[in-house]
Amino acid sequence: MSTRPKHRWRATAINLGIVAALLTGLSFLPPDTSLADRQSAGVLKLCVPPSFPPLVTGEEGAPGYDVELAGAIAAALDLKLSLNVLPSIGQDYNPRNWFLTRAQCDIVGGGVADTAQTRSFMQTVPTQARTGWIGISPTGTMPPPGSVVAVLPGTSGLNRLALSGWLRQQQLRAQLVRSPAELSRALTSGAAAAAVTERFLADGIDLDQTGFVPFWLEGEGFTSFPMALGVWKGDQTLKRAIDAAVSDLEESGAMERLRERYGVDADLAPASTNQTPPSAVSPLE
Amino acid sequence: MEAMMLLRGLYAIWLREITRATRDRAQLIGGVSRPLIWLLILGVGLNPYFRGEIYGEVRFVIPYTYLQFLFPAVIVLNIMYTSIQFAVSVIWDREFGFLREILVSPMPRPLILLGKVLGGSTIATIHGGLVLILARFADVTLSLQQMFTALGLMFVLAFGLTSFGVILAARVRSFEGFGVFSNTIILPLYFTSSSVFPLDPALTRTQMVTAYPEWLVFLVQVNPITYAVDALRGVIIGFNQFPPTYGLAVIFGMAAVFFVVALIDFSRS
Amino acid sequence: MNETAITVHDVTAHYGSKKALDQVNLTVPTGAHFALLGPNGAGKTTLVNILCTLRRPDGGTAVVAGADVIARPTQARRSIGVVFQDSSLDDRLTAWENLEFHGLVYGMAAKPRRAMISTVLELVELGDWTHEIVRTFSGGMRRRLEIARALLHRPKILFLDEPTVGLDAQTRQRIWQYLDRLRRESGLTVLTTTHYIEEVENADIVCIIDHGRIIAEAPPEQLKKDHGIRWLHVVPQDATAAEAIVQRFPQAQRLSGTGLALPAGDDDRTDAFLAEFRDRLSEIRFHPPTLESVFLSLTGRELRDRADGQRDADRAAGRRGGRR
Repeated sequence: MSTRPKHRWRATAINLGIVAALLTGLSFLPPDTSLADRQSAGVLKLCVPPSFPPLVTGEEGAPGYDVELAGAIAAALDLKLSLNVLPSIGQDYNPRNWFLTRAQCDIVGGGVADTAQTRSFMQTVPTQARTGWIGISPTGTMPPPGSVVAVLPGTSGLNRLALSGWLRQQQLRAQLVRSPAELSRALTSGAAAAAVTERFLADGIDLDQTGFVPFWLEGEGFTSFPMALGVWKGDQTLKRAIDAAVSDLEESGAMERLRERYGVDADLAPASTNQTPPSAVSPLE
Repeated sequence: MEAMMLLRGLYAIWLREITRATRDRAQLIGGVSRPLIWLLILGVGLNPYFRGEIYGEVRFVIPYTYLQFLFPAVIVLNIMYTSIQFAVSVIWDREFGFLREILVSPMPRPLILLGKVLGGSTIATIHGGLVLILARFADVTLSLQQMFTALGLMFVLAFGLTSFGVILAARVRSFEGFGVFSNTIILPLYFTSSSVFPLDPALTRTQMVTAYPEWLVFLVQVNPITYAVDALRGVIIGFNQFPPTYGLAVIFGMAAVFFVVALIDFSRS
Repeated sequence: MNETAITVHDVTAHYGSKKALDQVNLTVPTGAHFALLGPNGAGKTTLVNILCTLRRPDGGTAVVAGADVIARPTQARRSIGVVFQDSSLDDRLTAWENLEFHGLVYGMAAKPRRAMISTVLELVELGDWTHEIVRTFSGGMRRRLEIARALLHRPKILFLDEPTVGLDAQTRQRIWQYLDRLRRESGLTVLTTTHYIEEVENADIVCIIDHGRIIAEAPPEQLKKDHGIRWLHVVPQDATAAEAIVQRFPQAQRLSGTGLALPAGDDDRTDAFLAEFRDRLSEIRFHPPTLESVFLSLTGRELRDRADGQRDADRAAGRRGGRR
């Protein structure tokens, strides 16, 4: 006769199960009222700069990637999107200098980089857009030392000091250009062996895509970084709802369509003129 | 054959601790009530004071929410409590005579101690691991790999602290004395471990917004739990205040040193 | 098989300045039932603690089942089973779990372990309580479970420190029958310590110990023959009578309560006593030679005349001994 107990671990399993269930249940408690407040107001306030193409354009038909994305999120949350234009946003990438308040904005778009600096003030909802300095050259790499490089810095505050330092270090001669057209002329005429510009400006440059390959530039002091929508730190319930909405949008393909439309992908070759195989893109990133 | 016999004994001693600890529902619930207080009450209660209101006026500039920052520390607190309270089990064995049953057995003393400490650390790891269920509440997302790394670290930490509990038990005579004693050890260690506030909440020197007086900084820096919390934070939310190797060195160092001291104590007794 | 199960040579032990054992010498043959008889505090538990390797002697040597308890304690431990004076069960585990723990710690493989668990549980009639938590057990049930546990790993020597306290006569008999069978069949040696005379009547050898010294060692019949005399137990009517008796007959021993005991070997003196105090006594009883009377004549004290406080102190000392 064996006296071995049949359910030796039952008590242990039951007790652990009860405690785990208790904790799981409690983990669904809302930690704050941020979502409930928005829902009772019925409005989701998005703060954007007047213009930060292509994230915010200010145009009626195509208001920009961030604005359309925020609209889709608001719709998913059953809220009305209200646009609040603040000129201080996007002048540089340190949101500390943007003078925002909770009263003005629920979420912030149009130039919020997903960096530790931003996250020290806000939580971020990554939008899959990516910006940073990119190079354009016939070979897909930077030319040898001594070559002339056309630089179009743009207006969004990427770190220009770091870039010029890096170019000097690579012994490249920087030549400032003022417009996409000028940049494209310098490249096609051969006056410059390569060009450097901001990723979001690249789509506006009218270039023969067969001859020129864009690639990410990475160096000390400047890297490319993902863009995001900013949510106030501590607004957990709102953040969770937005995260859920974004993941739904991603699954349905709506975000992908938006990215293609505005050309904000991390993948550099623009869909409309894509004749370069992706393998030619520099793996610098 | 001999090794097999010793393994059976080791298993028996380990199993006894697990059975005793998990059978007692009150003890388990008591074990998880602490993280609930810390995360649910303190974390939520203080949340408004740590969130952004106006850019530039935020003091808490760690790139995580306060709940996320607190989360790994609460795990460590739970492990500390359970591990050090393990001394009660050692005192219990001594006072109620069960120790003699073990001591007259052919099990070598070091294995007896190892079995007990392994049992205690398993329970402490379970108590710490239960906190992971609240990850969702604290908005901490963990990959499987992160989770297993965290559980591994938690176990080694628990091993060291359980050995520490055994060392305490050898020096404390009564249960009553131990209750007071454990609180006077655990809470100061916990609060000076940079668990509820970052030592330097600025990202860079120029951003430095808060500076603590030197004596507090000193206490935090000499407290080994600081580095244990830091190591776990590194794994769970990817935030380190110190070089990550410090935490690993402290956690493994404590496990080795405390176990050896406990062994010397136990062999002498 | 070894002829002697236990050899104790010149063993001395101290608690602080108090001498618990004073140059004790003992030999226990294999298969014997050896009883250590003595009041609480006599040093029985200390001796058992030394023999089961819980305490090192301060002097002398002890060999248990062929292993020196100081030089090779692990080997000695493998061959012994111990039932301690106070419970050493884990009362938060079930009976089965306590036994399973014991079997595992002694390295028993699953099959013989499980079989033995059933056997010993049946022996002590705890089969119905197998999966009950020990905390709910009565004192007697715990005692039985401890005896079962001590037998689980088939020890060569079984130590029973005050073993059958709280057991009913029937269970006690069953257990002794089983132990006697083990002694015959597999040469089990049983060493009991007790301060209950009834426990030692069936022993092969009784060893009387007091104040850490062995004062007699022989089979019970031998002891009764050598040291046993008839005793007259009387209960005086009042304290003055008792006082008068003690003054008149200095050899009178005070018993617990109001009783007095007088050696009644010498009939003349007994007659003289009765003639003088007949009217001042409320009770008169003659006691034939028993081990109790042997003890009384050897030590001048009754076995059970110690206060409870002494017993507690003894327990505490035993516990400290266990920790050392």
